[in-house]
Amino acid sequence: MDAFVQLVILGLLAGGVYVAVGVGFGLVWGVLNIVNLAHGALVVVGGYITWQLFTGFGLDPFLTLPLDAAALFILGYALQRGVINRIIRAPLLFTFLLTFGVNLVIVNILLLIFGSDFRSVTPAYSGQGLELGSVVIPYVRLASLGAAILLAAGLAFLLNRTRIGLAIHAISADRDAAQLVGIDLRHAYAVTYGLGAACAGIAGGLIAMIQAITPTAGEPYTLQAFVVVILGGLGRVSATVVGGLAFGLVEAFGQSIPGSGSVFANAIAFGLMVLVLVTRPQGLMGRLH
Amino acid sequence: MSAAVSPQLELRGVTKRFGGVAAVDGVSFEVAKGDIVGIIGPNGAGKTTLLNCISGTQRLDRGDIRLNGSSIAGISPHRVAKLGIGRTFQIVKPFGSMTVRENAAIGALFGSAQARRGVAGAFALADEVLELVGLRAKADHPVSALTIPDRKRLEVARAVATRPQLLLLDEVMAGLNNVEVDDALDMVRAVHATGVTVLLIEHVMRVIVGVCRRAIVLDFGHVLAQGEPEVVLRDERVIQAYLGERYAKRLKS
Amino acid sequence: MIATTDSQRRWRRAFVIAGAIVAGYALLAPLTSLDVAQSANIPLLADKFWFRIATYIVMFVVMASAWNIIGGITGYAAFGNVAFFGIGAYTTGMLIAKAKWPFLLALPLAPVLAASFAALIGLPLLRLRGHYFAVASLGVGVALGELVQNIDYDGRPVFGGASGLFLPIYAVGHRGLFFFYLMCGAAALAIAVTWWVLRSRFGYGLIAIRENEEAAAVLGVNTTAYKVAAFALAAALTGLAGGIFSQWNVFINQDNAFPIEYNVQMILMALLGGTGTVFGPAAGALLLQLLIQFLGGSLPISLDIPFVSSEARPIIAQVILGLLLIVVVVFVPRGAIDFFGGRTRLSLAYLRRSLRETSL
Repeated sequence: MDAFVQLVILGLLAGGVYVAVGVGFGLVWGVLNIVNLAHGALVVVGGYITWQLFTGFGLDPFLTLPLDAAALFILGYALQRGVINRIIRAPLLFTFLLTFGVNLVIVNILLLIFGSDFRSVTPAYSGQGLELGSVVIPYVRLASLGAAILLAAGLAFLLNRTRIGLAIHAISADRDAAQLVGIDLRHAYAVTYGLGAACAGIAGGLIAMIQAITPTAGEPYTLQAFVVVILGGLGRVSATVVGGLAFGLVEAFGQSIPGSGSVFANAIAFGLMVLVLVTRPQGLMGRLH
Repeated sequence: MSAAVSPQLELRGVTKRFGGVAAVDGVSFEVAKGDIVGIIGPNGAGKTTLLNCISGTQRLDRGDIRLNGSSIAGISPHRVAKLGIGRTFQIVKPFGSMTVRENAAIGALFGSAQARRGVAGAFALADEVLELVGLRAKADHPVSALTIPDRKRLEVARAVATRPQLLLLDEVMAGLNNVEVDDALDMVRAVHATGVTVLLIEHVMRVIVGVCRRAIVLDFGHVLAQGEPEVVLRDERVIQAYLGERYAKRLKS
Repeated sequence: MIATTDSQRRWRRAFVIAGAIVAGYALLAPLTSLDVAQSANIPLLADKFWFRIATYIVMFVVMASAWNIIGGITGYAAFGNVAFFGIGAYTTGMLIAKAKWPFLLALPLAPVLAASFAALIGLPLLRLRGHYFAVASLGVGVALGELVQNIDYDGRPVFGGASGLFLPIYAVGHRGLFFFYLMCGAAALAIAVTWWVLRSRFGYGLIAIRENEEAAAVLGVNTTAYKVAAFALAAALTGLAGGIFSQWNVFINQDNAFPIEYNVQMILMALLGGTGTVFGPAAGALLLQLLIQFLGGSLPISLDIPFVSSEARPIIAQVILGLLLIVVVVFVPRGAIDFFGGRTRLSLAYLRRSLRETSL
């Protein structure tokens, strides 16, 4: 098969994971104005829940995804309601530091419970795949791309078509006005963060099927989420989808550069992000606000 | 004023667009040295945008702005300030963590080159300026402790501390009550008396009639009329634009 | 900047005196390890192991103070300052290891290169505000670390690659002492520069930018030049620390020259001690580093944490650190200097007030 088409497919598959990692992060950033440095840790928590349910109870990993989402939603809701809400009016650096502290606590609690070994989720069908010419595309990866797109669509539906979604839109547009029309800010903020965490949980479940996880593996996911959200543009789920897929493609093509292209994946990604920030701060798809 | 003297500030066809809409469209006028001129117009007439173009915080799309005969169009705000144009903001922008005196000292430290006297000198100049605008007694207060009228005074004090030849005042009377407006008028007169040319934007008619020697009426980005305030304000087009047609008819009948 | 009362002045004096005693002890104690002191029967107050920790702590004093110039005084939340540390480390490291320059000749180039790089990226980056600047600067830091590790020329790594860069050991007597005092010199320089900035026209311009950039510009502050200068100044000091680190540590790689967690640590230190102040970041660096070292069990005075095995101890230490970070950020958002420095005293009312100001 054409090498170009192969790269596109690989890029899109990788992009699916980035979409999953990015949507929750983008939601929290766009609505709450919080750059959530604990996002990667929440992703890893989702991964461990899937791993635990899979190895402990033999549950199919895809069936654990709703459970990841539910558990992380509760965790996220409690975190926002109990802690982060208390510094929401402080300068932005404080939310950076607070979420970094949350990250530190989560990662180290995971280390205490699970140790630092790498864990992976390997259901019976994980070796099988779709043969396309010379490449085999694992079904798991295809399914996770689908799951990621479903996740984004579901989130977009929730935000645009439900009562709480409209409330979230209102607080992202004008916090104080939203309060005046009777929205319970503390609850709405907590739900928003809970949704962001739920998305992270699902992303974690998907990632656990594709690569091995360890408690300290979260940091790259936070960084990737940054890049994806910046690339697409803040404020809309669809923009994050574009950002995630674009990031996957850039990475795939970057790695294919002859020589040692693969080791520059991060440098290429971040270089691209800085370039986008400087030339088009609203992102590829975004509107200026 | 003789025609041979070139005006201090000269605008020629100044145009500024946002998307497809021209907020300021081919505005031309002159301000003579030592004059005190008011710009009035309904909301959205382009008054603040015009001020932004003069002070360099927004880049004009077409036209030219000259200060003492040399063009200042499109140069950055700090250079405009150093050339001798000071301005205030309608929505006050105080330096929140500083005292009143320190706020004024920033203007003295960074304004026109002749005024620069080091940090100690800047504080001395700041005190002089605070005296002029009536804030001397509150020099050591944090700005957070100031009332709204005092914040507007501080805005003027900072601009005056840059030692401008031309001062642009953006609605310094907006939101003040009658007594406060009278005080503010006295302040503007006091500043003008030090030899500074003043160009002010106002919503309050009383201000224009009270202090201005000349008024310029803006409407939809165009100059509608200019001249002596009493004459201009009786102009029918101005009354229509400013107060609405119905009011204009009632005034006529 | 706000007028002080007598009681506040008393607090401040007590704080300064306590700080001076601590600093004096820390500066003089290492001298007791010299042969002269030993033969004069002066008790040993600090050994080689201590120098190492102390040098490390002072390194953070330099970095936190440097961050304060761009982050605290200018108000630009730089999140990638570790890039300048890395540039400093690799500049000195490369000159010594590859070009065989003597250390003291190679060191001055570390701040020069770091500052030049900061000026170069500062021009585009400092046009961004808030989160965007923070994220972009973080990106620069991450990308740079990876580039340094992976750049090859002719099939060989230019900067030592994944196996890192080894420097020849610097031939100087009492090496531990030498690097401790050298780092202290850098810290003194960083604090002196901050002191000067806060009293200068330059500093007033930076604070004006922090408080309201547009107002600063129309009052005549050349905002672009000032921001870039502040960024470059912070980079120079951070680069200096990196330069000293590379020769002191003798080995540098991506992990120890570009550690992402330093970004968070230096900011946390500055916040803890009080941003925008002269001694705040230094105090914060001391406080936080001592705490980290204490929790990690590297200090001679240490507590056994009950029910915790020795393997789990460093992990528990991190959990405690995280919880502490959360508590500090939630309850004391204006920094410890706020009450140590005498503005307010730590009281329930103070905590309640600061909570009310920042919560929903």
